[in-house]
Amino acid sequence: MIYTSQSLEQLVEEFSQLPGIGRKTALRLALYVLKMPREEVVRFAESLVRVKDNVRYCSVCWNITENDPCIICSSPKRNAGVICVVEEPTDVMAIEKTNEFRGRYHVMGGALSPLDGIGPEDLKVKELLVRIEPDTEEIILALNPTVEGETTTLYLSRLLKPMGIKITRIARGVPIGSNLEFSDEATLTRALEGRIAV
Amino acid sequence: MKLLSLTLRQFRNHVSSGFAFGAASNVLLGKNGQGKTNVLEAVSYLCLTKSFYAGADATAVHCGTSMFEVEGDFVSDVNVRHRVRIVYDEQMRQKHFFINASEITKLSEVIGLFPIVVLSPENNSITFGSPSERRKFADLVMAQSSKAYVEDMMEYKRVLRQRNKILSDARGNDCSAVLAPWTEMLIRHGSAIIHRRNTFLNEFVTYVEKAYDAVAHNEERPSLRYVPQIDVSGAMDRDAIAAALHLLADRKQADERRTGSTLFGPQRDDIAFSIDGLPLREYASQGQHKTYLIALKIAEFWYLKERCAELPIILFDDVFSELDETRSHQLLEMLAPMGQTFITTTSERIFQGVRQWDDEHRKFYIRSGTVVLQEDAA
Repeated sequence: MIYTSQSLEQLVEEFSQLPGIGRKTALRLALYVLKMPREEVVRFAESLVRVKDNVRYCSVCWNITENDPCIICSSPKRNAGVICVVEEPTDVMAIEKTNEFRGRYHVMGGALSPLDGIGPEDLKVKELLVRIEPDTEEIILALNPTVEGETTTLYLSRLLKPMGIKITRIARGVPIGSNLEFSDEATLTRALEGRIAV
Repeated sequence: MKLLSLTLRQFRNHVSSGFAFGAASNVLLGKNGQGKTNVLEAVSYLCLTKSFYAGADATAVHCGTSMFEVEGDFVSDVNVRHRVRIVYDEQMRQKHFFINASEITKLSEVIGLFPIVVLSPENNSITFGSPSERRKFADLVMAQSSKAYVEDMMEYKRVLRQRNKILSDARGNDCSAVLAPWTEMLIRHGSAIIHRRNTFLNEFVTYVEKAYDAVAHNEERPSLRYVPQIDVSGAMDRDAIAAALHLLADRKQADERRTGSTLFGPQRDDIAFSIDGLPLREYASQGQHKTYLIALKIAEFWYLKERCAELPIILFDDVFSELDETRSHQLLEMLAPMGQTFITTTSERIFQGVRQWDDEHRKFYIRSGTVVLQEDAA
């Protein structure tokens, strides 16, 4: 596509680099920007730069933050004895939305996957080990139920077990609010495997 | 399940062909290389999302074009209609699969919805060829009858690829620390697959015995036995299989380091076929091989019939050319009450006197990718 404006072309190009944005959507977004008041556009552009300049990783849990350590790690209300291990910052956001978990997090930065060149040294494993102290009560492994997530869970549990701490993993199975008949076979099989006595 | 109509566009020899099928049998006639088998392949694309012939989807695109499209109207055994369509784009190397109006993004979900049993000359390798051909046969029967097996298999293959990557990257160096969790995962998923295969083959053998008896009409007793690397005699549970795999993994450690690949697990299983206790590969005649293969396929049909929600569709590609007239007639008689069948053959002779062409039983003549004549009494 060739537009009548080089600037527009450039903006469409930039937008279409974002995940999930194709050229058509990029054009729609670019044309919308053209209609926005100048000050809003400036604010938008500044936010983009600010997020890049100000956001860093928490040196304790490796979640994204502006203050190091992050607000979760520095909050006295959070139980430092319980650490929930997740793959990515988005997983922290998901668990935080539940408003149920009062412990702290540890973001691994991914899961083991040799095909993608990710080994233990590419994850925040050492950083997790140094966090374990005598008053650590429990490590909750909340990695994704994929082959890679499961393997990472296995790897971490083997590593942590000799340290004598309680290690748990989140349950998996049928989502609440959905009927059994709508669950796929794999989920149902797993749910049956992980059944509990009532 | 029955296929009522089929349209092929830019698919192999066919630029544009349309078929209205009979509910019972459909015979595709024509000389070699005209495009008879292409029609069966197209049916396979709709049922399994791929051809029963090995090879890339790109080879199925008609010469000089860049995409193919196959569309079919199915009717289920309880009379529900489904319009199924598959489009392959050669440039993007992408397959798009649609059931009615919605696209199915996970192609593995389609397996088992439209069960089929295929017998083609390529299948000779099931009894003659390497263990991988026998595993492929068993896997497809199991996949069509169990969604959980499809999932298990996909996860296992993923773990295997990951583990092989570590071994090949290590180039003979010690990688045991990195390898350990993947070994554990391989055993966990591998034991599930071995357990399922063991259970399946123990059940399947009775179907084969019955089918062989019906096909061969003699006193011969066929048998099949699962041959994994570990001893599974006496119904072993998953834990026992996992324990045996652990021992095997330890034994193979040094060799794995040397070869740079995984040397244990269900990807090295075999199935041993025999007649009257003698191994088929070493002792059987050509005729016995053929009989055994047909019996396996009839057994597959009976097995799927009992486990799938739908009656399987049968595709017989060039099966009758190797059988004498008596055997051909016997087989046609056997097929008659089964499901909807699609048969390709170069000679119409075997049908003379045994089949009346009507609305249910139709024949099609195919010449250089076009249906030149469609005969039905209706």
